[in-house]
Amino acid sequence: MRKLLDFLIRQRHWLVFILLITVSGVLIYRNAAYQRTVFISSANVVVGYAASVSGYANSYLNLREINTELTARNGNLEKQLLTLQQRLEHQKPDTVLNFAVPGDSAEHFPYHFVIAKVVNNSVIHLSNYITIGKGRKHGIAPGMGVISDHGVVGIISHVSDYFAVVLPILNPKHRLSCKLSRTNYFGSLVWNGRDARYAQLDELPRHVQIQEGDTIVTSGYSAIFPAGIMVGKVYNFQRHHDDNFYSAEVELSVDFSSLNDVHVIINERQEEQADLEQEAIQ
Amino acid sequence: MINHIIRSLFYFFVFVLVQVLFLNQIHFLRMAMPFLYVYFLLKLPVGTLRIYTLLLSFLTGLTVDFFCNTPGMHAAACMCAGFVREPVISFFIGKDLSADTSPSYSTFKYGGFMRYTLAVVLVHHFVLLMIESMTLFDFWFLLLRILLSVVLTCGLIFAVELIDVKLQKGEK
Repeated sequence: MRKLLDFLIRQRHWLVFILLITVSGVLIYRNAAYQRTVFISSANVVVGYAASVSGYANSYLNLREINTELTARNGNLEKQLLTLQQRLEHQKPDTVLNFAVPGDSAEHFPYHFVIAKVVNNSVIHLSNYITIGKGRKHGIAPGMGVISDHGVVGIISHVSDYFAVVLPILNPKHRLSCKLSRTNYFGSLVWNGRDARYAQLDELPRHVQIQEGDTIVTSGYSAIFPAGIMVGKVYNFQRHHDDNFYSAEVELSVDFSSLNDVHVIINERQEEQADLEQEAIQ
Repeated sequence: MINHIIRSLFYFFVFVLVQVLFLNQIHFLRMAMPFLYVYFLLKLPVGTLRIYTLLLSFLTGLTVDFFCNTPGMHAAACMCAGFVREPVISFFIGKDLSADTSPSYSTFKYGGFMRYTLAVVLVHHFVLLMIESMTLFDFWFLLLRILLSVVLTCGLIFAVELIDVKLQKGEK
């Protein structure tokens, strides 16, 4: 007994090593099981604030580019506004045309947007996460969609009072229902963990006509994103011999490595649609 | 002794901060990542009790984990690095060192320090990237990532150590 105790005391670093390795193993396992505690993530307030300081410092770095981009976008929108106004003017006097009638005022657009700053971001890991500087207090909840000026970014996975963690396209846990804008066939977009500029669109039926440069947009089936939000362009594609589906390499329209401002989409009817679909399954 | 504690605290704060604020954003050729914070573990005095080395490595790893959203990964990697530190020292350098010596170019000689760094960093990166790629297994890509990251981290550590030596000479 005494010898055993002596042995244990002499080799106590082994015990500590095994104990602590087990602790980290448990942490990793819980992370893999997607039950990440909000505590050990950037949604944690202290870490969140530290990260937002570096985020704010970084956000000044490419103001010039962002400015030109915004001006260009402004110009484009102005142009669209003018064309639409012109079309409206043309159609007003023509009472014969049906679609000149203004839309039903009872039907309103169910989506709102909350603008948020990116405070922590990664593109280099195999599972990437983005932290944004708005949270529960601003009406954000898990499951909401996140987009930037250029297209789809990801889905909110965790929220705390003032921060939220986004599961971006650059995370293999994320699957996004997308369609080819030209033909309306839909598939599912995932990331293979290699290159932050490209993601893979799978499950496209074999008979679909597909070309390099085809635009990929959201399908709108999940009620997370409205239909028709830009995702990317087909970069190249191939058909597997033993498979009935195409898989296409998609060049993402969002540059994740220089992400600064994002919009969180709040859909008032998301819950209603999910409940109804759940009910139908049962 | 007090001197060592103060210096270790300084290394901990500086290198963990540099890691989480700057180096975590770096992704050379989309493959290699520098993990300079291992330097803190490398510089602990030779005579540190193994239990303290282990606890300190766990703490360091967990702190970096907090910022990277990767609970447990860095902690496990650091634990393994902290665990092999002492065997590696006695293998490459020998056992007749006074407990106070802190590993550096002057105490370990250039070759010794480099071999020691390479061994510990290799263990750390292997465990870290292995755990990270558990969900997406791609052996050759993984090997390439480990090797490139080791080269990058070791290069940084050798450079930092050079500067460190100069600073300490300047103090004297």
